[in-house]
Amino acid sequence: MRLVGLALVVAALIAAPGARALEVFACEPEWAALVRILLPEARITVATHAGQDPHEIEARPSLIAALRRADAAVCTGAGLEAGWLPMLQSRAANAKVQPGQPGMIEMARFTRLIDPRPASLSPFSGDVHPEGNPHFHLDPSRWPELARGLAQALTRLAPGHSTAMAERARAFEARWAERTRGWQARLAEAKRVRVAVQHTTFAYFFAFAGARVVADLEPKPGVPPTPGHLSATLGALRGAPPHAVWIATYQDARPARWLVGQMAGVRLVMLPATVDEAADESALVRWFDTLVGALAEVIAAVPAASLARSSGAAG
Amino acid sequence: MRAAILQRAALGLAVATASAPALAQDSWAVGAVVDVSALSKTFPLGARDKDLGLGHSDVTVSGGIAGLFDARLTGAAHTHERKLEAHIEEASLATRTLPFGLQLKVGRFASQLGYLNEQHPHADDFIERPLPYRAFFGQHWFDDGVRLNWTAPSAAYVRLGVEAFRGRQLVRETASARRPGALVFSARTGGDLGSSMSWQAGASWLDNRREPLIEEDEHGHHDHDHAGEHEHEHAHGAAFSGRRGLVLDAVWKWAPGGNAKNEQLRLSGEYVRIERLNRHASADDRHDGGYVSLVYRFRPAWEAGVSAGVLNVRIPHEDHFHPGRLREASVMLAYKPGHLQSYRLQATRVSGARGFGEVPRWRVGLQVVLAIGAHPAHGF
Repeated sequence: MRLVGLALVVAALIAAPGARALEVFACEPEWAALVRILLPEARITVATHAGQDPHEIEARPSLIAALRRADAAVCTGAGLEAGWLPMLQSRAANAKVQPGQPGMIEMARFTRLIDPRPASLSPFSGDVHPEGNPHFHLDPSRWPELARGLAQALTRLAPGHSTAMAERARAFEARWAERTRGWQARLAEAKRVRVAVQHTTFAYFFAFAGARVVADLEPKPGVPPTPGHLSATLGALRGAPPHAVWIATYQDARPARWLVGQMAGVRLVMLPATVDEAADESALVRWFDTLVGALAEVIAAVPAASLARSSGAAG
Repeated sequence: MRAAILQRAALGLAVATASAPALAQDSWAVGAVVDVSALSKTFPLGARDKDLGLGHSDVTVSGGIAGLFDARLTGAAHTHERKLEAHIEEASLATRTLPFGLQLKVGRFASQLGYLNEQHPHADDFIERPLPYRAFFGQHWFDDGVRLNWTAPSAAYVRLGVEAFRGRQLVRETASARRPGALVFSARTGGDLGSSMSWQAGASWLDNRREPLIEEDEHGHHDHDHAGEHEHEHAHGAAFSGRRGLVLDAVWKWAPGGNAKNEQLRLSGEYVRIERLNRHASADDRHDGGYVSLVYRFRPAWEAGVSAGVLNVRIPHEDHFHPGRLREASVMLAYKPGHLQSYRLQATRVSGARGFGEVPRWRVGLQVVLAIGAHPAHGF
């Protein structure tokens, strides 16, 4: 009987929320940054970094151990981590971060995804996310709703911090609105820009900016570029070359380099698709500044004649 | 709203249980894997047919039950000697919400003994499983039983587990049916070495209470090369058995900056020893075998690999044993555009065969693996 009592006390101590810092497993660095903004007290492990393709992460022992110790996991959802997170959840055997538990926070719940696709049964249709494009963290205008959603979700896990988190979310929204207006102003002419991409990673950023994506180097989502598809893409683009081929740093740059080399006056832009693992709000802002700056440079290099023609065509 | 949720849940053939939002964590999915191969010659102790054959193909239904259990049902089929063999390979329930990092699994499932046995065969890097798996575990060992695992809340990954199985697949015919059952104790650990390397190592002990029947000379003649005759039996059954087993495994993976998409090196190896073969066996009568495999992803969709395996067995013959031996080396090239397709070309050379009759030296194989519908996440 005494043993049972002792066991209960130990269990209560282990389970007691608020008794120690919330241990957060962030699937991607952008969510680690948002947790730092809302709950600076949290202890955060970041599972991936900007140099990795977030679709292709090994469910390695170190990640299992980190998820085992977590009180909460903050992930993108929408199938982005389908290749590795379910394995981590199963191996970690941590009740708090299983699907449907309050500690399993999927950010996709707090925003509306673009480009949902009908599910495909074919093994030849690529790695399609039927839920929609999961790279929504690249749209700055979505961050206020994401911050609100995450603050609410974390409130359930750290009720003692509820007021502080709501306050931080509001302050973040105010600062962010100001910055978003600045970025929009710099990208006012972006609708004249045509870009070729590799995967739909930056789709939300271009949607935010208003730039047009005219080609994808991947023949199917998640399928690496093939020589046949590249030459077909080149053929289709020759008449009206894109102003830039825009890829993420984690991607194999060879296909993009080849394509850029085949056409005159096309810029190769290679940028991280997320922030550093240790990023806070200022690093998050700097990252968006870099993206906006790179697109602004592409806009500036678009010849005036082409601008006129494009706007004429657009009008 | 309801329609939107329905659409989100409709992954592949996914059953749209998620239309009831409270059960979103239970989202059910159906997926299938079709594995077709063409071999110029069979592999000794292999499961695949010469020429065109259906490899390990399956249909899996999986999902959650009230957020408490992971349920999985897998029906698998393959051709063996031109006949289609089908079986239920997994019908299991695993807990999600036990405290203290405990997990209980019941039903039929693959044992976590060794490294490859825990991996789904369609993710294998070579057309046939390594020699020890073919000889001792019937390609991969799944069985009816129960498992209890504990994952430590430590910085380093530590998992301890115990499994109890019927053990039928490990011993084809028992001397005595009174003592069924096999116990597996396993320990696994691993971690990262800097940002580019990670590793995992494990040890498993097998205690099989089913004692192998002493081989009678079924065919009425005394043929010292008769181990190969086992191949007319069901492909999922151990060719060589014993009452004690030890499996040591290690895996090391490297990818520049941890980004495995474009470039990755995978080195894995296992050693298996089986002892107490039957009541006539002395302490020196034991089977063992092992393999080493090295695979290099050199382009986002391309992999090349080499592997080498050995097998030393004591072929039981009435009250004594004959030595059996196989050596095998393979090279393979695989094209994997995305997760749902893989195409593999492999050449394998068998040398030093003893006790297995005439074993042709070379075989060349072509394998196509296609996934349809929901695709399960892979282990390390």
